[in-house]
Amino acid sequence: MNRSETMLLCASPRRKGTSAMLLERVRAITGGEVVFLPQKGSLDDLVLAMQKAETIVMSGPCYINTYPARLIELLETAAQVGGFSGQKLYGIINGGMPYMHTHQHGLSCLQLFAQQNNLSWMGGFVLGGGAMLDGQPLEKHMNHRKVVPAFDQFIRHIAQGTASTDSLYEQAQPAPGKFVTRIFANLLTFMVVKKLKNHGYDPDAPFIYTQEHN
Amino acid sequence: MITIISDDSRGDWGSLLEDALLPTGRQLVRFSANSLDIKPCTGCSSCSGKTYGRCVMKDDMHLVVQKIAGCQALVMLSPVVFGGVSHHIKKVMDRIAVLGDPRYRMKDGELVKGMRVPGLRYYMIGVGNKLSEAEQKAFLALHTENRKIMDVKGQAFILDSSMDKSGLEQVAKEISHE
Ligand SMILES: Cc1cc2nc3c(=O)[nH]c(=O)nc-3n(C[C@H](O)[C@H](O)[C@H](O)COP(=O)(O)O)c2cc1C
Repeated sequence: MNRSETMLLCASPRRKGTSAMLLERVRAITGGEVVFLPQKGSLDDLVLAMQKAETIVMSGPCYINTYPARLIELLETAAQVGGFSGQKLYGIINGGMPYMHTHQHGLSCLQLFAQQNNLSWMGGFVLGGGAMLDGQPLEKHMNHRKVVPAFDQFIRHIAQGTASTDSLYEQAQPAPGKFVTRIFANLLTFMVVKKLKNHGYDPDAPFIYTQEHN
Repeated sequence: MITIISDDSRGDWGSLLEDALLPTGRQLVRFSANSLDIKPCTGCSSCSGKTYGRCVMKDDMHLVVQKIAGCQALVMLSPVVFGGVSHHIKKVMDRIAVLGDPRYRMKDGELVKGMRVPGLRYYMIGVGNKLSEAEQKAFLALHTENRKIMDVKGQAFILDSSMDKSGLEQVAKEISHE
């Protein structure tokens, strides 16, 4: 990779999930190649690739309100190796919940990483409702009318090397009201319970940890 | 019982917390996340479906889950890393999803999930040297969001590694007295 290229890093262990779909949408405009974060082994080669890139775009799922452990490990390794010189860093985080605050920590984490390690933080994009998409095109998002143009604007920022602000994704994804929330809660729970029952589980059974779990 | 998960790769804060909690008489168990074999979550979602409440990966996480399932207080003790926890602690956090209730409920007008460990209290302790305001704010925000999505009670604390250890005693009091 020469210094002018864009590195597109997918931090999801799921290669056909929503993080990868979003990154592929970026790739269609910016070029470059999507790299998947290896789930085991050394991360040193990836840090070298980060150092060589001019722009880095990280896209990952929200696990317990921020990026997954393996991405944190990459950031820790990169901070230890050092050697960054103003690489532009953009972040994308997607999660199941439709609230921006649920996933926002991922972007704060990348921003702090960039500030502490001499990269240029260029902003990020939070996508709620990403679990329902499950890797399908963004046009299938429940709020596609607003989300698609906002994400495409974010891609233009990446392509032009300009900074993107939080208001871009925030304005496109207002929190659903109480009525819609209740419908969602009931509908999603119905689907979860049905799935568990199909697998022979009683969702109301208390959690009992047995040897079978070993 | 109190379950402590500590990252001891950058200091002995885990055993110091254990020492501070011992006089409270509470039953304790502590895991050093950095010395356990815990693989990253693969997002296969088997634990909320096909093998409900059970992770298909075979590693040390089953020991940790077993203890958390029977505890009243879970404490994550980590160096503050980019306003969050270290990857050693995050690996455990990601895999704790196995203890989550996959059903949705409403709280304060928002969708939340919950935990299958009744009455669990959740604490995060972040240790750092002269942490910036942004780092502290992010760490506390992560705990707030964790608490919301897990629908549990608990607190977050930030300790300066250059301070004396009395801060830890105060934290121990808070954790054991609630
Ligand atoms: C271990 C684990 C933890 C998760 N935690 C959250 C969470 O805190 N909030 C949320 O909205 N979604 C959460 N999710 C759902 C994922 O963020 C969501 O399914 C996402 O779309 C996955 O992206 P991917 O397809 O790129 O892997 C979690 C999923 C897993 C497997």
